Amino acid sequence: MAEEKTYNKPLPDFRPETKPYWEGAKNHALVLPRSKETGKFFFYPRAMSPGEDMSENIEWVKASGKGKVWTYAIHHMGPSKAYKGDPPYVVALIELAEGVKMMSNVIDVDPHDVFVGMDVEVVYDDVTDEVTLPKFKPAK
Amino acid sequence: MASDIPGTKEAREVLKKNKIVIAGVGETDQGKIPDRSSFHFLSQASKLAIEDAGIKKSDVDGLVTAFSLVEHTFMHCTTFADYFGMKPKFFSSVAIGGATAVWMAAEAAMAIASGQAEVVLCVRGDNTLSGISSSGMLALIREMCHGEFEFPYGLTTPGGYALAAQRYLHDYGATREQLAAVAVTMRKHAALKENAMNKDPLTIEDVISSRIIAEPLTKYDCSIISDGGAAFIVTTEDKAKELGIENGLAYLLGMGQGYSHQYMTTLENLDQIYNAINRSGQKAFQTAGLGVSDVDLAYLYDCFTITVLLELEGLGFVPKGEGGSFALEGRMEIGKDLPVNTHGGLLSQAHLGAMHHVVEATLQLRGDAGPRQVGDAEVAIVHGNGGIVSAHSTILLGKEPIS
Repeated sequence: MAEEKTYNKPLPDFRPETKPYWEGAKNHALVLPRSKETGKFFFYPRAMSPGEDMSENIEWVKASGKGKVWTYAIHHMGPSKAYKGDPPYVVALIELAEGVKMMSNVIDVDPHDVFVGMDVEVVYDDVTDEVTLPKFKPAK
Repeated sequence: MASDIPGTKEAREVLKKNKIVIAGVGETDQGKIPDRSSFHFLSQASKLAIEDAGIKKSDVDGLVTAFSLVEHTFMHCTTFADYFGMKPKFFSSVAIGGATAVWMAAEAAMAIASGQAEVVLCVRGDNTLSGISSSGMLALIREMCHGEFEFPYGLTTPGGYALAAQRYLHDYGATREQLAAVAVTMRKHAALKENAMNKDPLTIEDVISSRIIAEPLTKYDCSIISDGGAAFIVTTEDKAKELGIENGLAYLLGMGQGYSHQYMTTLENLDQIYNAINRSGQKAFQTAGLGVSDVDLAYLYDCFTITVLLELEGLGFVPKGEGGSFALEGRMEIGKDLPVNTHGGLLSQAHLGAMHHVVEATLQLRGDAGPRQVGDAEVAIVHGNGGIVSAHSTILLGKEPIS
């Protein structure tokens, strides 16, 4: 019998316009929104390009999944009791190869071995049957 | 100095003509005060400010409030007007996090200059320490970050500031000791402030060895949470005379705002933060016709030690990356180059946004700061930041009106 998953931590507050992102993640693909008018990626996903173009003509592009740690914070306290046992964990801003930043966790590494500029690659954490959180680990 | 910022000449004329002043201030007890509600603190602070000005409650015809983290209402100003028993001609709630208190003064000034009111009560108070539930605290943390793309990764509020601090240490080779020095100076000043919560001496070693919250930040890099209220009364020099106000007056010399980002995810680099702080400050400076060398006292938003360094540098008091050594050399202490947060700030006095920063700047300019008094203080800057160093507001206050 499969192990029953219990996940008590906050799940994303979904908005209708971000569906492709989370569907991508569920299928273990990091997809990023890009304005078709300007060809520019943006993150976080929105219904409208935050550029001067104000375009709703958005395409979703599979990203390389590669990036670098831009900054990080080793959390010794989580935001709630649901994080009991997790600290220390790393919350980082990852500068993706596509030029945008995203927040994530850097996992599979001693938190104190993380550094600014570290090469990382995406991994997928299926936290529930419905939700997958893209996370990062040191690049091979 | 940067080239002329559009609007500053006009703003200067408005402030010169109206001579906007802070004419009364009030602070309640600060600390863990479990038997008083948010609206109770607001009422007490308001009464204290009205009494300090020596005017009647009915002389007040304008009201600017903020928000409560405990009692949620989407019409905060009028909810308080009802509770306190007043019928203001002008009312507004400012909700820009830590940039709020500073901008309440600007909001009051703009209302007065446009004829909406003559005597505006600006008040903020909350029972954040005693009244907030654990779910309320979680909701607050969630509000400080993106609910969909940041919060699921376990980011906390100190964690957000730790992200900025870590990058600052990386970019400028700053040290942990330099950050800690900010907390040490705030504690020294708090020892001189009657209602400060934390007065025990603190060393750099104490800060560094305190409980780690989110590396590189420890417990004493983080501001305190408190219950309390504070208020100030904004009017004009003429109206203050008409009402027979005997207090020294703190004149509003300039004001400005600067915006960087809301979520850390959209922050391109630290320069984006510096630029927002600088825009905010320069607008105030150019309106006042003053520069950093004219400032005697600085009230910088110190929700975390890192913000003080970013603001010192962004406002132009020291070059980028040099705020840390300035702090470590004790140059922010009373009696030194640039006294910063002579009341102990959010790190050691109490946390009510920048309300106490505005109150203390006013007391100093009046010469009423008691054991903390900085002699000959003529110009003070007050800078607030909301979000994670994201939304900025600045005012300049002076002992004399704009000339």
